[in-house]
Amino acid sequence: MALSVFDGIMISYVVTQKPANEQPFILIGNPGNKRTLGLQEARSSQGLKQSVLVPYQALLQRSLRIGDVLYDTVHQWCDRDCSSSVSPIIRLDAPGEDPEVEREFIAWGAPNFTENDAFCPFEFVSDGVFITAEEARQLPVQQGRILYPAQWFRGYCRFLYFIKKEAENAGFPIVWVNDPADIAVMFDKRSCSQLLTKHGVRMPALPAPAGSIVDYDTLQEAIALSGMNRLFIKLACGSGAAGVMAYQIHPVTGAELAVTTIGFEEREGERVYYNSGILRRYSDKAVIRRIVNWLCLEGAHVERWIEKESLRGKSFDVRQLVVNGEACHAVLRLSSTPITNLHLRNERQMMTEEILSSGLKQQVERTAISALSAFSNSSVAGVDVLVRRGSHETYVVDINPFGDLLYNVDYLGLNTYEWQMQQLQGKD
Amino acid sequence: MEIRLSVGYDEYENGERMTTLIENLAASPDAEKLSILTIGDWGQAYENSPDSFLDTLVQHRDSFPLLRKIFIGDMDSEECEVSWINQTNLSPLLVAFPKLQSLTIKGSTDLSLDPLEHENLQELIIICGGLPQEVIHQITNAKLPELQKLELYLGVDDYGFSGSVEDVLPMLQSGLFPKLKYLGLKDSEIQDEIAIAIADVPILDQLETLDLSYGTLSDTGSEALIASERIKKLQHLNLSYHYMSESMVKRWQDSGMSVDVSDQQVEEDEWRYPFLTE
Repeated sequence: MALSVFDGIMISYVVTQKPANEQPFILIGNPGNKRTLGLQEARSSQGLKQSVLVPYQALLQRSLRIGDVLYDTVHQWCDRDCSSSVSPIIRLDAPGEDPEVEREFIAWGAPNFTENDAFCPFEFVSDGVFITAEEARQLPVQQGRILYPAQWFRGYCRFLYFIKKEAENAGFPIVWVNDPADIAVMFDKRSCSQLLTKHGVRMPALPAPAGSIVDYDTLQEAIALSGMNRLFIKLACGSGAAGVMAYQIHPVTGAELAVTTIGFEEREGERVYYNSGILRRYSDKAVIRRIVNWLCLEGAHVERWIEKESLRGKSFDVRQLVVNGEACHAVLRLSSTPITNLHLRNERQMMTEEILSSGLKQQVERTAISALSAFSNSSVAGVDVLVRRGSHETYVVDINPFGDLLYNVDYLGLNTYEWQMQQLQGKD
Repeated sequence: MEIRLSVGYDEYENGERMTTLIENLAASPDAEKLSILTIGDWGQAYENSPDSFLDTLVQHRDSFPLLRKIFIGDMDSEECEVSWINQTNLSPLLVAFPKLQSLTIKGSTDLSLDPLEHENLQELIIICGGLPQEVIHQITNAKLPELQKLELYLGVDDYGFSGSVEDVLPMLQSGLFPKLKYLGLKDSEIQDEIAIAIADVPILDQLETLDLSYGTLSDTGSEALIASERIKKLQHLNLSYHYMSESMVKRWQDSGMSVDVSDQQVEEDEWRYPFLTE
C-alpha cells in the first residue's frame, strides 16, 4: 500500500519537474509548421522544457549562428552551475514546405556560391540545371513547380556540412538526433541504395549501377541488358511522391506507360515541371522521353518495380518509424495505384497484428531497424518497407530522416513526437 | 472450397509455371472439393496468354467435379496493367465445364468467346480497359439461357472499344437473355450516350439492378435516367464514380431510389476519364 503511494509521488515528480537527465534540445526547422508545433507540444506533455527553435532561414541568411545559439542555450540551461555535463541535443527537421527557405537552399547550391561540398555525393555533383544565387533568390513562387532539385540538394548538402562544422566548432559535446552527414546520404536515393546494399539490407535490384542512367537512351540500354521492363524512376533527392514515376515498357510491342504526379507545361517559353498532386498516365513516347530526360538530368535513381502485397484489393507498403534502434509507430499505405506515398486519396492504416500476421509485422520491423542501423550516428528515421507479393520478402525502398510526421497513430499510447522525446532524452 | 493460383514475376523467372500448379491441384485432395478457382497472374501476363495453361485446365476437368466459378486474370497493376493482359479464346472452358455458373475475365487483348454457348452459366463479367467489338458481337449472338448477371467494362477506344454506342445497342434487346436481372455497362468513355440509349428500353422492366458505374457519366446522361419511369422501378441503380454535379447528386439522393452516387470525380483539363483504362 505504502509503495503504491510512493509510486504516485514519483510519477507526479517526473511530470512536474525537469527530469534528472534532461538536456537542452535545439530544433532546427521552419517555425509554425506541423512538425515544430507537434514536437513542442510533445515536449510539454512529457514534462520537458520547450526546445530552442532555430529557423532554417535565419541560419541560411546567417542572421543567427548555431555556435551562438549553443553558447546561449547552454549558459541559460545552467545559469547557477555550468558543469561540463551539459550536452545539447540538436535535431534537424524537414526543411520543406517553405518557399523562402527553398529558394535560399537553391541559392546555396549555386555554382557561384562558395561552400564546402564534402557532403555532396561526389560522383553525382554535376547533375542538373543550375542558376546563380541571385537568380535563385528572385525566383517567383510558383505553386507545385519542382524547382532545380539537383541544385536544391547541393545547397542542402552544403548547409548540412556548414551546420555540422559550425556546431562542432562551438566546443560543446553535441548529440545529433541524426548526424548531418547521415542525412545527406539518406536524402540521396543513389548513395542510400549503395550504403544499405553494402550493409546487407535488401533493396530493389538496379537495372544499372546507381547514377549510371543519365538519360532516356541509357535507360533503354539498361532495360535491354537487365531485362527489367518495370521500373521506378525517382528524383534521387526527392521526397514523398514528388518526382516519382512508375515506368513500364512492353517487351514485345515496345509500348510504354508511365504513371507519375509529374506534369509539365510551357510558361513564358520555359518548360516547367511540376507536381500535379494527382496521378497522370502517359503513354506517348515523346512525352515519356522528355520527362525521363528531365528526371535523369536532375539526378535519377532507377530501381526495379517489385510487385507489392495487397490488402482488400489495394497494394501497400509500410512506413515504419525507428527510434533508437527500436521499431515503433507504423502505418500501412494502401493504394490502387503504384505510388503509395501519394497523400491524396490513398488510405492510411495503423499496422496491427489484425492487419498483418505477427510474423510479417516483425519482419517489417526487423527490416526497418536493419536499415537505420547502417547509420551509426542517427537515431530516428521513417523507413519505407515493401512486402513482395507471393514470397513476402521485405525490401527497403526509402529511408527518410524526417519520416516521423505520422497522423493518428500511436505506440504504447504516445504519438510519434511524444515517443521520441521520451526515448531520446536518455540518449548519450 | 475456393483456391487462388498465381505465379509472380520472380517465380516465373525461377521456372514456376501455372500448368504445374494446376496439375498439382488436380492431384491433391482439394480438387474434388473445389468450387471456386481464381487464376491470378500466370507469369508476365503482358507476354504470355492463358494458352500456356488452358489446355491443362481443360484436360483435368474431371478432377474438379464441383467447380462452379472461374476467374481468369485476377491481377492488378502491380503485376500487369489490365490493358496489357494477354487473353485468348476462353470458350474451351465453357465446353469443358458444363456445370459452370460464373465466369469472370480480366483483360481483353486477344480475348475471344467463340462460340459463347452454355446451358448453365448465370454470370459473365469482363473487366478490361476496352471491350473489343468482336467480343461484343459474340455476346449479342450468345446462347446463355440462364444468364442473370452480365457485367461489362466497356473502356476506351485506345484499348479496344470502338467508341460507338451503336455497338452497345444490340445488347439492350429484351429477348437476348430472358433471365437477366443485373446489367452492367460500365467504365465507359461514352457513359452519357449509353445512359441516354438505355434510359427507356424495355429490357429495364426485367432488371433488378442497372450498373452504369466507373464511367464518365455527367448531368447530360443523368438527366435522361432521372426522367425515366422505367429507371424508377429498378431495385438498385449503381452510378458510383461519376462526373455529375452536386445538384444532380442531390436530386438522386432525394429521389427515394436505391442509388449509389458515391465517388464523385472532378474534371481535369475539361477531360473525363473512366475508372479503369490502362
